[in-house]
Amino acid sequence: MRRISIGVTTGALVLGVSLAAMTSAVMAQSVTLTLGSWRTEDLAVWQDQVLPAFEATHPDINVEFAPINTNEYNAAIQSQIEGGTGPDLITCRPFDVNNEWIGRGYFSELDGLAGMANFTDTAKAAWTFEGHTYCVPVAAVLAGFYYNVDIFNELGLTPPTTTAEFIAVLQAIQDSGKYTPLAMGSADSWQLAYNGLYSVGPAYWKGEEGRLGLIDGTKKLTDPEFVEAFKAFAAWRPFLPPGQEALAYPDMTQLFTLGRAAILPDGSWNIKQVTSTGLNVGVFGPPAVEAGGQRYLQEMPDMAIGINAASPNQEAARTFLDWVAGPEFQQIYVNTAPGFFAMSNQAVTYDNALAQNFADLKTGASLTPRLALDRLSAGTPPLDDEIWRLLQLMMTTDTTAEQATQELQAGLESWYGPQKGN
Amino acid sequence: MTSLAGYKPKPVADDRRWTAERVLVHVILLGFVVLALGPIFVVIINSLKTTPAIFGGPFSLPTAETFSLDGYVRVFTRGNFIANYSNSLIVTVSAVVLTVLLSTLAAYALVEYRLTALVPILTGLFLIGVMLPIRLGTIPIIKIMVAWGIMDTLLALILVYTAMSIPLAVTLMMTYFRTVPTELKEAARMDGANEWQTFLIALPLVRPGLAAVATVTMLPIWNDLWFPLILAPGKANQTVTLGVQQFVGQFLNDYPALLAALTLGAMPLVLLFTVFSRQFISGLSQGYSK
Amino acid sequence: MTRPATARWSLLLFVLPALAIYVMFAVAPLVSSVVMSFFNADRTLGSVFVGFENYIYLFTEPVVSARFWNALVNNIKYFAIHVLVEVPIGLLMAALLTSGALRRSEGVYRTILFIPATLSVVIVGFIWRLIINPLWGVVGFPLLGNQMTALPTISLMGVWQYVGIPMIFLYSALLAVPNDLVEASRLDGASPWRTFWDIKFPLIVPQFGLIVILTFIWTFNGFDLVFALNGSAPGPNYSTDILGTYFYRTFFGSSGQVADLDLGATVATVIFTIMLLVTALYFWLVQRRLRAHTV
Repeated sequence: MRRISIGVTTGALVLGVSLAAMTSAVMAQSVTLTLGSWRTEDLAVWQDQVLPAFEATHPDINVEFAPINTNEYNAAIQSQIEGGTGPDLITCRPFDVNNEWIGRGYFSELDGLAGMANFTDTAKAAWTFEGHTYCVPVAAVLAGFYYNVDIFNELGLTPPTTTAEFIAVLQAIQDSGKYTPLAMGSADSWQLAYNGLYSVGPAYWKGEEGRLGLIDGTKKLTDPEFVEAFKAFAAWRPFLPPGQEALAYPDMTQLFTLGRAAILPDGSWNIKQVTSTGLNVGVFGPPAVEAGGQRYLQEMPDMAIGINAASPNQEAARTFLDWVAGPEFQQIYVNTAPGFFAMSNQAVTYDNALAQNFADLKTGASLTPRLALDRLSAGTPPLDDEIWRLLQLMMTTDTTAEQATQELQAGLESWYGPQKGN
Repeated sequence: MTSLAGYKPKPVADDRRWTAERVLVHVILLGFVVLALGPIFVVIINSLKTTPAIFGGPFSLPTAETFSLDGYVRVFTRGNFIANYSNSLIVTVSAVVLTVLLSTLAAYALVEYRLTALVPILTGLFLIGVMLPIRLGTIPIIKIMVAWGIMDTLLALILVYTAMSIPLAVTLMMTYFRTVPTELKEAARMDGANEWQTFLIALPLVRPGLAAVATVTMLPIWNDLWFPLILAPGKANQTVTLGVQQFVGQFLNDYPALLAALTLGAMPLVLLFTVFSRQFISGLSQGYSK
Repeated sequence: MTRPATARWSLLLFVLPALAIYVMFAVAPLVSSVVMSFFNADRTLGSVFVGFENYIYLFTEPVVSARFWNALVNNIKYFAIHVLVEVPIGLLMAALLTSGALRRSEGVYRTILFIPATLSVVIVGFIWRLIINPLWGVVGFPLLGNQMTALPTISLMGVWQYVGIPMIFLYSALLAVPNDLVEASRLDGASPWRTFWDIKFPLIVPQFGLIVILTFIWTFNGFDLVFALNGSAPGPNYSTDILGTYFYRTFFGSSGQVADLDLGATVATVIFTIMLLVTALYFWLVQRRLRAHTV
């Protein structure tokens, strides 16, 4: 009896191990490229639309889309590459995090890639390090305000164009007592920055002028234009839903799609989720400071794809990236993943009406990426993380815009060369 | 003494009347049961409802209008549940069996040959392992797996989980082997049994311990998210926990599907535990009774 | 008795397989990470030995060290809440289960009360986020959005999940208490309350101590629940940051923070040292005395 049980045990073990070995043998086909990404939401987009189109013209190369949740993406990719493995193709984060990865030698250089000619230097900037480009730009995202058209009609409101109008609209919705004016919560601090401050702020710090001024040290976060921007964002606070301190990003989307809130400050990447319930949704851009003033819009280089330097399939990977840089991919991608906008200088049309509305916001607006991701977050404390934290404090405690900007400036001065000794 | 002696305490009083004391004990325990199961119940009932119904009244039961199995349908069509289950089972069962097997051998030896000078050092080494944050070793672990050519296989997971579980398993098993009477082993040796045979004679006496170790080993392995993500992220090798997590990311706003995935992901371990629980308790009590 | 030579050989043969896997896949990788904390990766020179430089940086750089101490203090609170809530409730459950008042239902209660411990944090985080959500849940107050309440709230979720573990450890310890002692006390006319504290509890003090120190080890190794709920820069204002998330953020970076492998290894070594010291101290001072007392 004893012997039998040990036999069974060993049998189960051998079975387990050999099954494990078999599974891995199946994977060892000739040229299969894996594409690491943080866009778990896009699994169907790649699997059903983008990759079949590529494979139709390149039957010898298979690409497998292998998403990792956003929260764990950086950690997983870093561990794998440091360990000498990782997906063949890596989706690149913009600016500082990616520059660190480039510096560590994670990517193969792409300078000679023919398709790179389709991108301007500005489009490539987020993934260029010491004069070389390492990733093919895939998409940029915009940020603005989704609004519930039916609620606006019911209350007789029109999309605001100036800060004063914006506040008036919020007040009118508040006064109606039926709907929450702004679907926004402070639990996920990143979106206070990305969908809030970086959206309304550029009108005050004049977009690139302010951003580049911080980078070269000629401007400080304590300058009036930045303090005003922080104040403009803080003015939203009375219009947030009750308990907003603990509401997370999915709660905000849910509140808006259930028709209980009128306006959702959010990025273009959320178009699919926002319209999933068939709600009548429109979009407007960040208001100008005053009537007739310059409009600004956050356009963020979001996603690019590079080749893992350790991948054994360099040639196939370059072939794939050349295709990604071309018009066929751009056209398919931006239309299957509405809310992501092509970065190449070739003409692309958008089928999704809301995506087209978003794209139209660019006309006449001055474009600027997120404030703190380029160079300003490459040290300790990273400015971007600090902005998240302080905006959360402003929205949940009595921290003022003045206090927040002072603390941010002090943190930046502690390590960032051009800001030191100002 | 059999393993069940001292396991089931005899009722202190033989009377079967509902005394105030007994009622009180039941009332308090039922309170705890509601606290323990209530939240789980909320997930299950909501997984059977439509999205507006979930947010309209998260704590009400599904009615004829709000009842919907769509979540489950989507999980089965978009998710990879069957493959994920089998991966998790292979990994968990293999790692648990390996852990129990190797730890039993080691624990037996550490108790049996304690006169050897090496024993305190080895015992200490295993004890330290109980508190090691193994995540810290992630990058070197990947390097080993790459060198061995077993990156992105279930085998890599099995090996890491076994290494991770051995310290606590050895430490626990030692407490069980200490309860085996020396006379039994000496008698066996007198009869000419070699060391292996002596071990086999002692083994049945620690059987409850095996169940206890299996249970405590099983929980963190089945529920681990980190190593599947790092060592076996390929679609063919995804475990249930990773699959559920990916599903959460993919269907960020599809609550019925999310709740269905969470329910399905939790089911097997709850069932396994219910089955093991009897053995587990008797195992633990045996370990402490000496 | 086995002969020394046989004993030595048998010891090696029996221990070797477990030792090999444990050393190869747990000890060696960890040791090499600890070694890493004494080096700095340099883009041009490769790794350079820097002695205690990383440790000095960790404890002197104002932001880095302030966040470290914050995480340590939070971790102590996290542990304290577990010890003050989870262990006593576990003890109460165990005491009720072994009070003699239950018959067949004992096994049912025991199994049900342990079920939350079998769930993954993905589920636990999700369930509780929904239940205490100010919009859809039962609590209007933003528990997770307030610096005072966020950490206790997450700790209590952990308590909810893991209370079954102290319950089951203490339960099995109570089962081993000899019945005649209990019976004698009862015949002396002692109330169940007195019987428990005078007879049963003193006998299980060593197991009680053990579960306290295991709770310490588990909470100081804690990471998953906080990460599942609040990500790697757990707010508000890092009020839910514990050592595990601090280490993760340093070692792997977050979306706005560049990763620092050497500093991460340093942080992990410091965490491990703290745990080792406290645990060793405990076993040395407390557990030994407890055992001597009860034997």
